[in-house]
Amino acid sequence: MTSIMVVDDDQDLAEMLGIVLNGAGYEVDLVSRGDEVMDLFTAQNPDLVLLDVMLPGIDGVEVCKLIREKSMVPIVMLTAKGDTQDVVAGLEAGADDYMVKPFNPTELVARIKVRLRRSNNDLGSGLRIGNIEIDQIAHTIVRGKEVIPLTRLEFDLLVALAKEPGRVFTREALLSEVWGYRPATDTRLVNVHIQRLRSKVEADPENPEIILTVRGVGYKAGVPGSPS
Amino acid sequence: MLQRLRSSLVVRVTFLIVTLSIVVIGLVGSALYNQLSNGVFKEKLNLSLADASSSASSTAFQIALSQFQDAPTSKVILADILSSPSSSADYSGRETAIFPIPNSGSNPSYRGTSNQLMESSIPADFRKLVRKSKNPHWIRTNINYIGGSSEKGLVIGQLLDVSTAGKYEIYTLFSLNQQSQTIALIRNSLWLTGLALTLLIGLIAWLVLRQLIAPVREAARIAEELTAGDLEQRMEVNGEDEIARLGYAFNEMAASLKQQILRLENLSRLQQRFVSDVSHELRTPLTTMRMAAQVLFDAKKEFEPALYRSAELLLSQIERFEGLLTDLLEVSRFDAEAAVMELAKVDLVELVKEAVDYVHPSLERIITVEVKKSDAGVEVPIWVDADKRRINRILRNLLTNALDHHEGKPIEVSVVETDNEVAVGVRDHGIGFNQKERAMLFDRFWRADPSRARTRGGTGLGLSISLEDAKLHQGTLEAWGVPGQGANFVLTLPKYAGGIIKSHPIELIPNSMRASGL
Repeated sequence: MTSIMVVDDDQDLAEMLGIVLNGAGYEVDLVSRGDEVMDLFTAQNPDLVLLDVMLPGIDGVEVCKLIREKSMVPIVMLTAKGDTQDVVAGLEAGADDYMVKPFNPTELVARIKVRLRRSNNDLGSGLRIGNIEIDQIAHTIVRGKEVIPLTRLEFDLLVALAKEPGRVFTREALLSEVWGYRPATDTRLVNVHIQRLRSKVEADPENPEIILTVRGVGYKAGVPGSPS
Repeated sequence: MLQRLRSSLVVRVTFLIVTLSIVVIGLVGSALYNQLSNGVFKEKLNLSLADASSSASSTAFQIALSQFQDAPTSKVILADILSSPSSSADYSGRETAIFPIPNSGSNPSYRGTSNQLMESSIPADFRKLVRKSKNPHWIRTNINYIGGSSEKGLVIGQLLDVSTAGKYEIYTLFSLNQQSQTIALIRNSLWLTGLALTLLIGLIAWLVLRQLIAPVREAARIAEELTAGDLEQRMEVNGEDEIARLGYAFNEMAASLKQQILRLENLSRLQQRFVSDVSHELRTPLTTMRMAAQVLFDAKKEFEPALYRSAELLLSQIERFEGLLTDLLEVSRFDAEAAVMELAKVDLVELVKEAVDYVHPSLERIITVEVKKSDAGVEVPIWVDADKRRINRILRNLLTNALDHHEGKPIEVSVVETDNEVAVGVRDHGIGFNQKERAMLFDRFWRADPSRARTRGGTGLGLSISLEDAKLHQGTLEAWGVPGQGANFVLTLPKYAGGIIKSHPIELIPNSMRASGL
């Protein structure tokens, strides 16, 4: 059964999240302190982490960094602030998505589903983007002989771009494709993750060759096999 | 120079002092000059009068004597008279002229002037005066010599009545050359002194003023730096004079300013902090409530009707509360001047269409959208540098507001672009509003008609927030309305980031209304 770790210091909210997620068919572990997350995370190895930003012990952004050092598990931040700096700090720390309180529980479940879905359809090997080879079965990407670890979201993002090499994706298109959003208003999510992804896969993130920016529109895949 | 006079106190005051000095020195100098030159002249006049009088007596004596003696001929006597030696060297340049008065028994051969003197040196008017009077007279004149030379001089004339030998006019002329020289010397000295004094006064004024003004200049410089934000700047204070007091006062002002600014900054920080805390503290329980309500709502089919409706109401009211909280936080962010814009190129036409679909998704087209582009194209993007979320919010608020008041009549939305601005107009033909209401339209929580049911459940903050959003973009949001004739809301935004609005492409008062004089 898919397990979700809910980290929130508000007992009632955590309990309510438990009820909603149980109702959606997930197993839920509740953690109320930031400094208790890592122990339980190692023991339980959850499939997804719901992480509040304000936590006693260590704050959510720090917890996010700690988890990212060990695991590529999907992380969804819960924030009470819609303010740019908090959101961006969370995303830069490695969170895949975020929900602003008070959120619609139906939407929360929908987002969690998107994050947990495995791209099982049309699995094909030999998908390339730039000089990078994507193995969708092993869920790895290889540059030369070097295997680059990616989070699931980063992998999905790269696959989305690589599947349609000629297409220019707008940020909104990527949002609905990768994050599963309907009202596509927050494009910061895309910007931050494209940057994170570039810092991992590009030889020179300042002059990207794998994920190209199309000014004023969005992004597209680099030409496969181009020299790096 | 005029520029310097205006901009520099030192130059202006020095100029004034020098000007006044010139006037005063001029007045004093000319008074002194008059007095001195008069004195010199008077002295010469007195001496000359005495000399003329004695020479006249001796002439009278010689003429009288010539009647009794068989003495020298008249010619010799005349020569004697005309060349009678002066008593002192001062009287060199003394000339004499004698004219017998006809029909008075005088001897016409006693007529003559000393050597080169021309008779024209003695004015005719003066001679008439002398002939009529017994007393000696004097007048300034030019002493002319045969040969053309001339010099300033004095002529003293008197009537000589030699009882036995008739009447004569006798004139003694004295050169004023020496006196002229003395007076010229005085004049030149006065000029020089005056000039030197003026220059000195100017220099002293300039130096003193500079000394005085230096702390003022310093204060101005420091005030400018304070204005620029360097709150640590202070004036240097020495001594206890007025300037030092200025310094003390200035420094105190700077210190108090700094304190005030820090206090306000602190207040603003506190306010933002409070908003952020309230935000967090309220949102967490609200999230729990919302989830609980949703769970109940999702299970509503199992409830009996009262519970069913309650679950519905609970969820809708929590959503309304949520909207209110969001709006309140937004308002308080505006109040704390903590609102941040996220500018991007957005397609205004697309935004308007999205907003129309959002507020009125039904197929029944009450709202029509008309696009006018500057280059005559239609139905193409109108790009504008704007914060998408805020523009969206303004458009939704305007459209919701129109739908609340349209009374079933059509709503016309127009989008217009010029080179510099873009504008959106939302025109309805509903209940409208009067002047008094118009003034309060953008006030927080103000409602046009309290008895009117709210059909859309707005928070009462929509228009107020929209106005702030428009201002944040350096744009305007204006409203026009007439009771029973509907309303028109016009949003005008600069097309490019940092631009300003130069014209309003959409008229606030609709053309049809202006024609009818409303």
